[in-house]
Amino acid sequence: MVKFLKLYEKIGIFILIVLAGIFLAIANPNFLKTDTILNIITQGSYGIIVAFGMVLAITSGGFDLSVDAVVGLTSVFLSLLIPDIGIPSAIIISIIISCFVGFLNGVIITKFGVNPLITTLSMATIIRGASLLIAKGRQIPISAEKFSIIGTGKILGIPTPIWVMLVLFVIFYLLLNQSPFGRHISAIGSNESAARISGLNVTFVKIMVYVLVALTASINGVIRTSQAMIGIPSMAPGFTLLVITITILGGTSLSGGKGNLIGAVFAGIFISMIYYGLNLVGVQYFYQLLSVGLILLFALFVDGLRKRYLEAAKIKGIRV
Amino acid sequence: MDDYRLRQTKQKFGVFWGNFGLPLIFIILVAVFSIANPNYATSYNFLNNLSFSSYVGISAIGMTFVIMTGNFDISIGSMLALVAVLGSSFIPRVGGVVAVMLTLLVACFLGFINGIFVTKLRIPAFITTLGMLFVFRALAFIYTDNVPVYISDRFWLYFGNGKLFGVIPFPIILMGICYILAYLLLRKSPVGRYIIAVGTNSRAAALSGINVDNIKILVFTLMGLFVGISAIINSANLGSANPGLMGQDYEFQVITAVVLGGTALAGGNGSLGGSLVAALILTFLNNGMGLMQVNSYWQLVATGLIMIFAVSLNKLKFYLLGQGEF
Repeated sequence: MVKFLKLYEKIGIFILIVLAGIFLAIANPNFLKTDTILNIITQGSYGIIVAFGMVLAITSGGFDLSVDAVVGLTSVFLSLLIPDIGIPSAIIISIIISCFVGFLNGVIITKFGVNPLITTLSMATIIRGASLLIAKGRQIPISAEKFSIIGTGKILGIPTPIWVMLVLFVIFYLLLNQSPFGRHISAIGSNESAARISGLNVTFVKIMVYVLVALTASINGVIRTSQAMIGIPSMAPGFTLLVITITILGGTSLSGGKGNLIGAVFAGIFISMIYYGLNLVGVQYFYQLLSVGLILLFALFVDGLRKRYLEAAKIKGIRV
Repeated sequence: MDDYRLRQTKQKFGVFWGNFGLPLIFIILVAVFSIANPNYATSYNFLNNLSFSSYVGISAIGMTFVIMTGNFDISIGSMLALVAVLGSSFIPRVGGVVAVMLTLLVACFLGFINGIFVTKLRIPAFITTLGMLFVFRALAFIYTDNVPVYISDRFWLYFGNGKLFGVIPFPIILMGICYILAYLLLRKSPVGRYIIAVGTNSRAAALSGINVDNIKILVFTLMGLFVGISAIINSANLGSANPGLMGQDYEFQVITAVVLGGTALAGGNGSLGGSLVAALILTFLNNGMGLMQVNSYWQLVATGLIMIFAVSLNKLKFYLLGQGEF
């Protein structure tokens, strides 16, 4: 059983993707065309981008439930700023504002010692209220045509969101697996007090992690806003669940210390395939909601089993 | 000597704050609103507010138990909607009385499922219930096809709109009964002591022969029961059960009330009275802001700020009592 779980941890998500792929290919001959596959990956990339940040947060033993609110905040600021100061500066300023929200999260969690779940849940409510206040409850259309390139343009035949995802993947991969910062995150997630005693600047690392989560959420907000060409304060409801599902299904352990970025990419694509399949069948939005919830519970189920068997194996003295 | 005296003063203040802090805030709040708005201080408005506070107050009992065992339940908003649409759709088939009982049973069952997931699969409660939040909401949508269920049964409606002796709204009575029963359960029965033991140190509790899993499952089931009662009251108030609109941000309000009431997030330390007063504070505050025509978006911001403030305040209290560091 331990062997099976180890194997699942390594290639489980590939098997799911292959199975889903075979199923979809039989169900729909159009599935194996480049356009369809690119489309599925593009749809998946929105969640995956934010999942990169969430992987860091969960690896550090924390959590962030404020990502969907940050997406809405970015969207509102973009739509307000673009007419005044132009596209590039508007994007930069919106992202900086979002990062500041992440900074606040980090400060409240580390300095006031408030539980991360409660902090980010409260912050989500505050930010949502603030976005609605700033936008005065309206949806604000954006007229700058050029802005739509970010979300809908293509470079070398591949949609820009995929490029953004690839670039972020490389950055986050280097950050998590090849840099001291990444090792510090894992150390804090595995055993915070040990990390503190061995001289790590726990406060700084944690604050940076929440800033990075907000950064990814904000980039997601830029892409979505550029596709919709409208600033929506309550953009992306339920998005947080999707991101967490991708992260956990991708093999990042909820108990902290173990992050898996590649897994997150494949998990995101898998969920995108499920959505595509559900769209083929023509079911309603609610079933998509239900499917994400069920996939999350399944992933958690496996995570729980894994923990249980690894513990049992340790007690029996089996090396794992 | 000075150090000792300082510690004593700190402790005294901590005890005072723990006992009288919230009622004091409540009284100040009501006084401020009464001065600011003459429409606020009427017996009609007060009774109405008390009745409304049952919406948060009753579920706050269940949440107090859940948080005392060191867990969370954030699925209750969706659970409220699902239970309400299921229960009210039974009315035409089985009649009001049976429908109410079935509703409570279904609610208990949903809480029971949460409990099983948390204990037997060892998934953190926060994540389990996050998944359930979406599953329950989706099921409510699918079951009703996003069409509200209208309720005309008099027995069911009495739960929300009935008045005892023609004066006191029935939800107040119901909330009172719930609190008395919960108090007896928590302070006068072995089960209550087990709950506290599990929350304080679940390993020690397990070693001393308490079945920790069963206690947790019981607590989640009770959470379901109280959500069921709230679902009946809420849908009776509205006259219909709406799968999408019912229970929005419900979990947030209830957790805010419980935390504001002084229940420690780490578990073990809880106060039913605190939860009740906190529920009153939140309801009266919202009503007051509404009467003063504060923008509802500001109310969102305010609730979030109160939440963070409440947790920090709790930390301060335990620090003053010498039970933790700040």
